[in-house]
Amino acid sequence: MSYFELKEPPRREDRLSACIAHGAALGEVAGRGLRCCQPGNERSFTQNSICLLLPALGTMNSIPNSVVLLHGGLGCGSSSHCGNAAVRGGNNQRWGVVKDGRWLSTGLTESDVISGGETKLAQAIIEADRRYRPAVIFIVASCVPGIIGDDVESVVEQTQPEVVAKLLPVHCEGFKTKIWATSYDAIYHSIGRNLLTDKKKSEETQEKTGITVNLMNVSSMGRVDELELERLLNELGISVNVFPVFADPDNMQRMTEADLSISTCPTHDDYILSHLKEKYQVPYIIKHMPIGIDNTGKWLLDIADFFGLTEQARALIAREEADLAAALEPLKPMFKGKKAFTSAGEFRALSTSILLAELGFEIVGIRAFHHDEFAEVEYEKLVKLVGKELPLNIANCQPFEEANLLRKLKPDIFLGHMNGNSTAAKLGISTHVIYNSGLHYIGYKGAYELARRLYRQLKNPRFNVNLSQYAALPYQESWYEQNPFKYIKMAGGDNQ
Amino acid sequence: MSNRGFIERPRYTCALGGAIATVSALPKAVPILHAPPGCASNFTWTQAGGSGLQVGGYCGGLSMPGSNVQEREVVFGGTERLEEEIQNMFEVMQGDLYVVITSCVTEVIGDDVGSVVRPLQEQGIPIFFAETGGFRGNSYQGYDLVLQSLFKDFVKKTDKKQPRAVNVWGITPFIDVFWRGNIAEVRRLLEKLGLTVNSFFTVDDSVDKIRESGSAALNIVVSEVFGQGAAQVAEELHGIPYLSATLPIGPAATSTFLRQVGEALNLDDALVEEVIQYETKRYYSVVEPLADCFNDIDLQRYAVIVGDSNYAVGLTRFLADDLGWLPEVVGITDILDEDQQDHIGSLLRQLGSGLSPEVVFHTDGSVIADAARTHWRKQQPVAGKYENPLNPAFVIGSALERELAKDLGAGHLSVSFPVANRAVLGRGYAGYNGGLTLIEDLISTIIIGR
Repeated sequence: MSYFELKEPPRREDRLSACIAHGAALGEVAGRGLRCCQPGNERSFTQNSICLLLPALGTMNSIPNSVVLLHGGLGCGSSSHCGNAAVRGGNNQRWGVVKDGRWLSTGLTESDVISGGETKLAQAIIEADRRYRPAVIFIVASCVPGIIGDDVESVVEQTQPEVVAKLLPVHCEGFKTKIWATSYDAIYHSIGRNLLTDKKKSEETQEKTGITVNLMNVSSMGRVDELELERLLNELGISVNVFPVFADPDNMQRMTEADLSISTCPTHDDYILSHLKEKYQVPYIIKHMPIGIDNTGKWLLDIADFFGLTEQARALIAREEADLAAALEPLKPMFKGKKAFTSAGEFRALSTSILLAELGFEIVGIRAFHHDEFAEVEYEKLVKLVGKELPLNIANCQPFEEANLLRKLKPDIFLGHMNGNSTAAKLGISTHVIYNSGLHYIGYKGAYELARRLYRQLKNPRFNVNLSQYAALPYQESWYEQNPFKYIKMAGGDNQ
Repeated sequence: MSNRGFIERPRYTCALGGAIATVSALPKAVPILHAPPGCASNFTWTQAGGSGLQVGGYCGGLSMPGSNVQEREVVFGGTERLEEEIQNMFEVMQGDLYVVITSCVTEVIGDDVGSVVRPLQEQGIPIFFAETGGFRGNSYQGYDLVLQSLFKDFVKKTDKKQPRAVNVWGITPFIDVFWRGNIAEVRRLLEKLGLTVNSFFTVDDSVDKIRESGSAALNIVVSEVFGQGAAQVAEELHGIPYLSATLPIGPAATSTFLRQVGEALNLDDALVEEVIQYETKRYYSVVEPLADCFNDIDLQRYAVIVGDSNYAVGLTRFLADDLGWLPEVVGITDILDEDQQDHIGSLLRQLGSGLSPEVVFHTDGSVIADAARTHWRKQQPVAGKYENPLNPAFVIGSALERELAKDLGAGHLSVSFPVANRAVLGRGYAGYNGGLTLIEDLISTIIIGR
């Protein structure tokens, strides 16, 4: 049975045996499948982390003409105040209109917890439909409804006939998974069940000529990155439809009509790609991420090979690489011999490290938010580039492990996820953000723009250096003497 | 709470978020969350988006330790996980104070956090806990709950009161985006009255002084809504009376505030008046050079004010009674009961200038914006070919009022949460100095294209 017939998607711990706690040398993970690190790994001391609701909101708040109705405590989804900057910017870049996202909370109170929140939810859905007249309403279940037993699906089913908007239930109960990448499955699950139908292709699309692909974006990609990939694919004569972030809900159906789906981040979208293939016979490619010079070429070649455009692609890649190499030449002396450390989502951390190595940095450490099978290909590339001894930390944030590693490895530059750079900053290390949807990261343009920004950071690191003289991290001095992975409980025994 | 089943873009987060903001603003304090993994990052991103770019502090953001409860703990209980977490935490984290705060999940499953924390307190470890599950209310309630616990379980009891010592709270870290500047100015003025001030959250405060705060003669709550529960607890357990006063912005409100404090502490009237006279004169000597341009450029505005009860009242008073602007609509976005609404409403009907703006109580910005648009339309009677619209206009609210300001053709300044479009570090709007800063910010916004 397809996962899409279930009410909720499975956790990635179960579906992909993904894990979140590990510390090892790179060579111990590369080429070992998932035998190195088990989903049962835990920490006996942990700092806080992210839950699947946060990345899910990045997609949901972006959808035009939508309302995001959070069913839960009053605070769930307040991160939208931050995501709203990307929604405003993204709307402006795509349609020239600055518009705030629309998110609502049922704000469950003590009495709702006792008597149940279903009536309140139904009332909220009807009122939201009436007040905002949206095309879709995401009905997001957070922790509390999951514990008190609110049946969100039934409420949606009963309320749907009374409202104009299409209702999209999304399960984001944070206590159910530590792999927040499960959120991508949660969104796609609802899109697949509610916005993709079995109807026949429209006549217009049946008559179309030429190649059209689904380019699967991620909320951490800005419009500038999409434009870079569209540019490259258009050069090969391939037309592009971008899903799901900022995609019109009325057009999601077109996902089922493409000649090919292309992943831009293998952590992100295997769940929907398999579904599109099984149910709608849309083949897919999920292998490389177009971050880095060599990786962008590999990503393009896979697509070109599929459509028999290999020669054109090789020529394009050669031209692009030559132009880029010439442009990078004056920047590279700044990078030579400098030590770099990256920390982000697994695939992104790995492909960014490969790009840094291409720019001439020495990679001294990598942290990835989780580990799953899709990154195997990237570990193999990395081992060839940087060897097997590099410390690798699989950690769902955990800045205390990071602080320990950074004090030992003393990198010159640290690249971290949004809200993950202050530890390095307070240690006086130059930093740069991985995940700022206004900036370029992807393709040849992304490689150049990232290099330009790193050059700038390294040219004057004073902000962080000055800060480190006065700002203390909240750790015992003795902690830095310890094994950084001391509190990781391996499923097969402690890591003392 | 909204009676519509939802709150639109809530301008606060939940009690746990307010508790985290509060604890992370205490001197070298380490918050320990008994919660699922995502609560902390939700609040981190909330602050990054809404608190004028201020996130964390000594131990905030994702550095906070947490039990990261999962389905296993939901089924079997989470106290063992919490116990393990705290024991190991002492080996890693360094703090002057540790505060365990709880979440929706760990409260619904009924974890007895006290059974974990009390034995540690008995060993003399500076630690206490607060039950701050998100369903208990919004950020302001979380702030109040932490301070209640602090007075219950941390502050030393004493019968020896210091007649000139006061505690000050009511200005909520991070949700009042200008908290640092506001607290500093209130503290400065109270010190000018000869008082010793414990204000909990400034660089001049310390955990030791907070522990001694039971010896104060008066608690001053700079709000008529926030932090009231803590004031009642402190009165009951420590015998400290309290005074509640709305955030004073500008000379008129601040002078009233200082007189209230003087009266409550039986201070020498002459001393209080001397301070008020000095500060007011100083304020106007700084404003004086603006007189030419303020009048020449025609900088008076009709105004919409949207904010929490502290800012809505404080800003309206300042605009109406100090700056000579014309507040037309005041929107208050707090979750308030009827009595609280009546009280806040009455404050807005006592403006020294005699103006009486339309007052709207609603949690949802779009409802307040609709009321303002309607108000603007109604006030535009046409006299033949002459129109008399409410312009020039200005909207002081949160970043979410930008769309309203655009519709009204009005200027806009974000002051109340969320402040997404400004970087805020030390500036504040409280007191005499705050009034000057607010004039600078309002007028700089108007003349930016000059």
